[in-house]
Amino acid sequence: MSDQPPNIRNFSIIAHIDHGKSTLADRLLQATNAVSSREARDQILDSMDLERERGITIKASAVTVMHRHKMGSKTDDLEAEFEAPVDDTGEHKTAKGQAAEHGDLFMMNFIDTPGHVDFNYEVSRALKACEGAVLVVDSTQGVQAQTLVNAYLAVNENLTIIPVINKIDLPSAQPDEVADEIEQTLGFKAEDCILVSAKTGQGIKELLAAICERLPAPRKPVVEQLRALIFDAVYDDYRGVVVYARIFDGRLRVGDKIRMMGTQRTFQVTDMGKMTPKPVRVKELGPGETGYVVAAIRSLKDVRIGDTITLENNPATEALEGYQPPRQMVFCDFYPATKEEGESTDFEDLREAVEKLSLNDSSFTFQPVHSEALGFGFRCGFLGLLHMDIIQERLEREGGVEIVQTAPTVSYHVVCRGVEDVVSPTGQVLKVIARSGVRHDGSQRGDVVEALAKAAKDHGIPDGHTLVEVHNPAELPNGSVIAEIREPICRVDLMIPKNNIGDIMKLCMDRRGLYKSQSFVSPTRDLLQFEMPLAEIIYDFFDKMKGMTSGYGTMDYEVIRYQPDNLVKMDILVNGEAVEALSIIVHRDRAEQRGRVLLTKLKDQIPRHQFEIPLQAAIGGKIIARETIKAFRKDVLAKCYGGDVSRKRKLLEKQKEGKKRMKNVGSVSIPQEAFMAVLDTGD
Amino acid sequence: MPSPTPPPHASSASRSLPVLSGGDGTQPAGRVLASTRRHAAASLYIHVPFCFHKCHYCDFYSIVDTRDRQEPFVHRLEHELEALSPWVRRPLDTLFVGGGTPSLLSPSLWRRLLRRLDELFGTASMAGRGGEFTVECNPETVTDDLAAALAAGGVTRVSMGAQSFHPGHLKTLERWHDPANVPLALERMRQAGIVRQSIDLIFGIPGQTMDEWLQDLEIACSLGTEHLSCYGLTYEQGTAMNARLERGDFQPIDHDLEADMFDATVERLGRHGLRRYELSNFARPGAECRHNLVYWRQGNWIAAGPSASGHVDGLRWKNRPRLDDYLQDTPDRTALIADAETPDPVRNLVEAMMTGLRLAEGVDARAMLSFAAAIDDRRRDRLASWATRLGERGMLEAADDRWRLTPTGMRLANQAILEAAEAIDPS
Repeated sequence: MSDQPPNIRNFSIIAHIDHGKSTLADRLLQATNAVSSREARDQILDSMDLERERGITIKASAVTVMHRHKMGSKTDDLEAEFEAPVDDTGEHKTAKGQAAEHGDLFMMNFIDTPGHVDFNYEVSRALKACEGAVLVVDSTQGVQAQTLVNAYLAVNENLTIIPVINKIDLPSAQPDEVADEIEQTLGFKAEDCILVSAKTGQGIKELLAAICERLPAPRKPVVEQLRALIFDAVYDDYRGVVVYARIFDGRLRVGDKIRMMGTQRTFQVTDMGKMTPKPVRVKELGPGETGYVVAAIRSLKDVRIGDTITLENNPATEALEGYQPPRQMVFCDFYPATKEEGESTDFEDLREAVEKLSLNDSSFTFQPVHSEALGFGFRCGFLGLLHMDIIQERLEREGGVEIVQTAPTVSYHVVCRGVEDVVSPTGQVLKVIARSGVRHDGSQRGDVVEALAKAAKDHGIPDGHTLVEVHNPAELPNGSVIAEIREPICRVDLMIPKNNIGDIMKLCMDRRGLYKSQSFVSPTRDLLQFEMPLAEIIYDFFDKMKGMTSGYGTMDYEVIRYQPDNLVKMDILVNGEAVEALSIIVHRDRAEQRGRVLLTKLKDQIPRHQFEIPLQAAIGGKIIARETIKAFRKDVLAKCYGGDVSRKRKLLEKQKEGKKRMKNVGSVSIPQEAFMAVLDTGD
Repeated sequence: MPSPTPPPHASSASRSLPVLSGGDGTQPAGRVLASTRRHAAASLYIHVPFCFHKCHYCDFYSIVDTRDRQEPFVHRLEHELEALSPWVRRPLDTLFVGGGTPSLLSPSLWRRLLRRLDELFGTASMAGRGGEFTVECNPETVTDDLAAALAAGGVTRVSMGAQSFHPGHLKTLERWHDPANVPLALERMRQAGIVRQSIDLIFGIPGQTMDEWLQDLEIACSLGTEHLSCYGLTYEQGTAMNARLERGDFQPIDHDLEADMFDATVERLGRHGLRRYELSNFARPGAECRHNLVYWRQGNWIAAGPSASGHVDGLRWKNRPRLDDYLQDTPDRTALIADAETPDPVRNLVEAMMTGLRLAEGVDARAMLSFAAAIDDRRRDRLASWATRLGERGMLEAADDRWRLTPTGMRLANQAILEAAEAIDPS
């Protein structure tokens, strides 16, 4: 790069899913000549097959391009029109004789972000590295739930936002109406919206000009020492962890010994560069710039996103403001699947796949778990439902394993009486989040006691109590210990067609939703805001909402707090015996309905036995729902024709095998499928 | 008479198969039979694979008739029977020709086959010596000519595949015969002198009512049959019927109704003097199918024809099912086999329980326990406690040193047998 640092613009593109964010990013790369149209593939920034297939972006990437802009002009010439594409050495040919006639040189660093709410944490960490954001809205769809949530995130980071209305080439485009919606919901002036078609390239010149004109330059360094924010990290089989960083103060050079201010770990920088989007090596990065850093970091566990990099021999005294680490809100179990022929994925194969994937995505958690019904597996925590789906798919696709997935549950906070460790009925010592008091044996370190006491204050835990985390109903402690069960509550934004408002209101109320507001978006749609327990959302709420609005409604949610409610553990009794793997945590008022649905499903899955099998749902010993599997009365193998005894015997062997794979509860055999069907959500 | 394959040395003690020759691992039946006694079997089963239509519930090996392959089949069968004759005792006690549709073979081929059978085993005079020679028939294929040929060849008994007397239910089963032809066919056989007659019926057909089933039973009894086989419709893997079920073309019959039909059959046929002597078989006293009893009582029989299976002293084998494979000649002229199981005490005990419990007479409890004890004491103990457990559940009755399934046990025979198998061989 040139000695004179150019004007820099750091920005992200944010949008509701499918509003054309990635296509717009591609078009910008092409227009600024970072890629020739020949190499332009759809969605250049998405590197994983899965991303391309699902059309969603999972991993944020940072790309640097150069662009010329004359200050004051509303539209720019495109490099693609006057420059050769990036050459083989990755050098961007900006210095062609007359290039300067097209304006001043700008370095644009843009950071692609995932569109889905589950990846809010990735969005917000990307935004931390930016001064501006391009907010894309589909001109045929209008403002959607995730448009709002993403816009809120950007506003919270004090970013300057350029609203862009995309897909204006489509016959059904309604750019004026959408501009009004943007003004109505977000308060940007309708005339400030830039109309583009990422597909045809229309409006791209105006957008590039607006990025240079409207977005602020990076702030000036405030300290002399190096401070760089880690906003992403990916694992590479050959180079180890590749860190993406934004320099705020000082300079970073290849060979520097760096210190992570949060983890206090030190590494030697071996390589640095920028993605253009091809990787291009650089010797140093200065204030305002972004790039990748390779420093022989072995595992993603050694890097904390949001941490500040400084120099070992000239360290900064204060770290940059970090960002909130991701919180796992949704949990489920993965078990190796048993295929019909008895051939099965090994637990060890599953372990290997899970561990490998965790190198690549540090935002899901996992711990070994054993289920009486399903054997050994992992209990995994995810940021949300989509995140869960993606992890499962990646494990199956990249890890080559077959997975049985249990129904998702949320993470509960359970306030327990006493200050001792709390042990679950399965013998597990539960994770302590806060404790107001000192454990009687006095074995805990002073600083730990202090931290837990502070947490107790934050969580509002009364004296002499312990707050533990439970995300598996089977691990809920005995009733007498429990003072209170708290569950995650979400703020839910729903963008709903006007004629479905009534249905959606009722759906939300049925799901223990608390109405907050209804506001005008456009003549056809309203924005509904509710507060609702996450447990109700993950129980097929999304599918129901989509069904009621014929697919036109959109929603987004964010966990805002934990809140106590009348939550109980519902046991399922098969032939009078409680089956732990079938118990669920449920709101008392919803228990009967859920219990009935569950028992009906179970009834279809458990084969008839020689005796009648009562199925019961119970809360604390009180039966609230009941079903019966009738006894089977006839089971006769068909004729044994022509004396083919061997064949009948082999059939018998097969039945014997089948019986062995079942889980015996008392004298009842329950097939694996029954556990799955029961864990399946939905009515 | 050309000399058959040199008879094997009698070595029933041998417990292992001889080393196989042939790269593909296939071997002719004569090779596995080499380890068994000569003239060990007084029973013979012959499989005729031809059908003119494949019934949708049927999972037995058959091919839709191609007339030009009947002669090569009979030709090959003659060679095979000759090659197997060293293991067959004379006089032959029982002979069963099943299929497929044996009555589909032309009368002239039948005459040729019957002549050869008589030469080899003296079948023409079986009746006079109290032997039983059964041929399965389809009502559509019985002509006076065929009836006369069978009778002259020594056939003593016919088993008629009626399945149902309701055209609608026959259609569900994809059986394309006119129910009115059943009495006609039986009458033709009777006229020719074949008076021992059995009818096959199926219950539990989708849409069938209890009244319709009882009607079927009444009609069958009114035809003067001494023997009835009544099978509950089963959906076997790989059959068209099963595919239709999975596709949702029809609903299987209600479980309780089917169980009621099973019980009602015993009651109704009992009124007509037909006693249940096996799970699905009913006969006037003395009219039981002796050939089938050989199967249930672990007797010995020799098998001929594609897919036929045989048993000699714990050795079981099965011919390869495809007609093309069967038609291949082999050095010793026996058929190529698909599978063979050498005697094994655990397996043989499971089989003895599995087949014996199907019979009203049950199994010899002391013999079973001592077989189990001969393997090890734990198996003996488990088997004994199996009997106690089933007794407590009202499924098994122990008397005169025999174990017999009760009516409840009969209805749940598969469970009883499954648990016995688990007791004997929990692995």
